[in-house]
Amino acid sequence: MPDPAEALGEVVRFVGGILSSSTLRFETGPTLVLLGVLLVFLQLVARPISRWSSADAAGLGGVGRAMALAAESGTDAVVSLGSAGLARATDALARLQTLAALPVLAHVARASARAGVPLRVLTADAFSAAVAASTLEAAHASTATPERVGRSRIVVTGDGRTVSAGLVMTARAHPAAAFALGSLREEAALHLDGLRGGAGALVAGTAEPSQVPTLIASGATGVLVGAEPFQVAADLRSDIAQRTTVLAGNRLLWLAVAVILVGSALALAGVVDIRGFLVGTGAE
Amino acid sequence: MTRPALAGIVLVVGLLLLADLLVVNDTLGDVASVVVAGVVLVAAGAALAAAAALAIRRGADLWRRRGDPVGAALVLLGMGAVLVAGLRPGATGAGDPAVGWLVAALLVPLGATVFGLLFVSTLAAMWRSLDRRPPQAVLTGLAAAAVVVLLLPIGGAPGAWLASAAGWTLAVPIGAALRGLLIGVAILAAVAAARTLFGIGGDDA
Repeated sequence: MPDPAEALGEVVRFVGGILSSSTLRFETGPTLVLLGVLLVFLQLVARPISRWSSADAAGLGGVGRAMALAAESGTDAVVSLGSAGLARATDALARLQTLAALPVLAHVARASARAGVPLRVLTADAFSAAVAASTLEAAHASTATPERVGRSRIVVTGDGRTVSAGLVMTARAHPAAAFALGSLREEAALHLDGLRGGAGALVAGTAEPSQVPTLIASGATGVLVGAEPFQVAADLRSDIAQRTTVLAGNRLLWLAVAVILVGSALALAGVVDIRGFLVGTGAE
Repeated sequence: MTRPALAGIVLVVGLLLLADLLVVNDTLGDVASVVVAGVVLVAAGAALAAAAALAIRRGADLWRRRGDPVGAALVLLGMGAVLVAGLRPGATGAGDPAVGWLVAALLVPLGATVFGLLFVSTLAAMWRSLDRRPPQAVLTGLAAAAVVVLLLPIGGAPGAWLASAAGWTLAVPIGAALRGLLIGVAILAAVAAARTLFGIGGDDA
């Protein structure tokens, strides 16, 4: 039987050994920024949120009406989770947008479950398909309509943005409403054109900055651009985690604006040029 | 597996990967590598299972003559062609010249053809948007028209002025708008990623 004090001492020595043989991977500045994001987020998680002003971003609050029309016309609704998926060989920001789209899928799925409208979910890989199926089941469970879950379908469009756009463009079904949220890049115009062509209403959202004009010109009835796809879930349901994300993001945005303004003033005054630190290239 | 157990696994793995991202340490790096290798193996298994499920599903569609038999036949033909090219005796797998030919001679031209439609679809989208006259679409159309004028291939002093104006437009207003969007997206993505790392989520999925 080992002595507890000795075991504790071994653990402390082990941790101390790891710390003493470690170095920072980044410079001090980027490391502090990264830890600052986590600190702000955790501070907000620990603090109860008392005030929140809801907004109807992209008209998603009116999804029930679209489902009523779909039920009346006997058609389905489509949710596209973009072309990035969760495990495809693309960058993390694109795949993170697929995760950010899941609360919107849940919102639409709950409305479709209540209205008895079949939902068609387009995903880019098997992982996002599995997560989408889980979200659909949760929506039917929360609306006490588990018998309707079998009418909805998860479609894996296949690997590649071209394939995804091609499948959407050649679909013969005409849904009452279509929702495209997730990473859309060079294929965005084709993807949205294919969805808009058949659907009665289209809501489109992506955090890809280069695709903002494409979304605006897509003819969508509701558009989410920039950081909005990450924030929209907070307005759809009173979920404390979603609202904390938005509040933490807003706090960090104000901090970034303050750093840019103060840094610009200091640079203009000739005190110190923090341009290198701000753009991540080091001191110039 | 219960939800607290899943959240616990996500929290431990998330903290481990975060620590490995920030700190250079051999022991930490080895443990993080084992975790990442495990995730890659699971992903590879899931991808294989998904491909097999796709083949079975399309084969059943073809056999029972339901859905889209032509599409099912094409999917099976494509899968078969790549498998034969990569796995035939003497082949070198994904790097085999026959696989390379299938990609270069079939997949890439097909993709380029689809993207060739962008010219028509972008013009049509802009025309539709201007027809409906929402303010943001009008502003986008005007900005696009201005940029097209600035990029006109004109020589001499007017051409030089247009070129410098185009450079200024790209560096100042367009650059500012894009950087503003990027900063906002980066911050919200960082916060969403932090939430994922700590396993803090809603009850939707």
